[in-house]
Amino acid sequence: MSKKQWFFAIFVVLAGMVIVFAPLPVHATAPTQRTFRVEASQYTYSPAILKVNPGDIISIELISTDVVHGLYVDEYGISVTADPGQTARLTFTADKPGSFRFRCNVTCGALHPFMIGKLQVGPNTWLWRASGLTVLAALAILILRPSPPKAQVT
Amino acid sequence: MKNSEQLSRLLITVGLLIVIALPFVARSVDTQDIVEVHARMAESGGWMPGTIQAQTGIPLYLRLTSDDVMHGFAIGQSDNPAVDVLPGKITEVTVAFDKPGTYTYYCTRWCGPNHWRMRGTIEVTGNEMPSSQAINPPLYIKLNLDIDTPHLASATPAVIPDAQRGAIFSALLPDSYLLPDYYLSHSPAQVYLDVQVDPALATLSNSDLWGLVAYIWQSNTTPEGLTEGQRLFAQNCAACHGETGNGDGVFSADINALAGKYPANFSDPASLLGAGPALLQGKILRGGMGTGMPSWGPIFTNQQTWDLVSYLYTFQFK
Repeated sequence: MSKKQWFFAIFVVLAGMVIVFAPLPVHATAPTQRTFRVEASQYTYSPAILKVNPGDIISIELISTDVVHGLYVDEYGISVTADPGQTARLTFTADKPGSFRFRCNVTCGALHPFMIGKLQVGPNTWLWRASGLTVLAALAILILRPSPPKAQVT
Repeated sequence: MKNSEQLSRLLITVGLLIVIALPFVARSVDTQDIVEVHARMAESGGWMPGTIQAQTGIPLYLRLTSDDVMHGFAIGQSDNPAVDVLPGKITEVTVAFDKPGTYTYYCTRWCGPNHWRMRGTIEVTGNEMPSSQAINPPLYIKLNLDIDTPHLASATPAVIPDAQRGAIFSALLPDSYLLPDYYLSHSPAQVYLDVQVDPALATLSNSDLWGLVAYIWQSNTTPEGLTEGQRLFAQNCAACHGETGNGDGVFSADINALAGKYPANFSDPASLLGAGPALLQGKILRGGMGTGMPSWGPIFTNQQTWDLVSYLYTFQFK
């Protein structure tokens, strides 16, 4: 490998680390109280995607429209169960940023395991970081690929 | 050498015999009758078995499991707490009966629009006297009330009647209005018409008179009864009649599609104030109404139905 290529390789590694670890400009939002009215029916939540900012106090009103349903939020480890006619409330602080599944935790029928939704706390930075890394890797492959062996003249 | 061989043969034979005899011994020792009950949504068959035999004084062992969704199990008119019945799990319940008769067991978790149809019976035989509730006919039958005719109030208040306002004038109120029998057999609108023409109350305005009606209703109920009524309403009624009593529960649209009318709206003064406590209790006990209203007679105790009735009036009085 030439000296030039070594320099480029080091540049690629440094750029990759910047993409992965650089703090993104997070527009600071004051934590607010958010209330979501989530209707649960076999086998969906409506709405199924809840977007909040880190630090927000979230209150989910779970309304079941057919059978008993539950709502369990991954990582947060909290859950609530709602019977039809009995609105259940789940209040918590979104102190863990990231994207988390929430799922029904009461067996509600044949497709119960597929009754899932998503809680998105803060922007999905890993989407942008992963895109950046992909572009960088493509560049590196194009530039660093070994040059074809030259024909030997005897 | 020979002795040890015989000993080992003996040991093996005895050991084999014990293993073969074990199931028979276990069967004869295990004399308790365990009834295995499977719960399914009403559309797929409900409880299986639907009828369970029992005897007074002998505990009944039940092993409950669900074949589809989450169900619950409780026995009507009894103090046994409700238990959840989950698919893939066994819930063990032991119940005992003091009095012979036919008991209803039912599902306690809303498992679908036909959840309330999930009922079974326990036939209890024995020599004791049967419970008195089954013998006494309910009040609406004694009063000869027709619970199917429309009961529109002939008079409705302009604002929501306030029992505290009525309490101010309660000293003027003749005692006969406060008797339980009078309260149970009269609708608020009838009571209003009665107090309107009562010479003892001639000086009061319309809203004061309605306040007195609310006061009569309040003095025939207790805070504990209202709390129990609220709990029963949320658990059993709100799915159709709505959490605020507006008749807009989550199943109301389904009921309208099937029966052509919505569940009763308790926030409508013309309908609720035209119904007396005995009439409302009759509707709760019998059900029907052409809307698939469940029959709660075998489920609620007498006191629970009155608690529920007094809670219903809180949608009209404060």
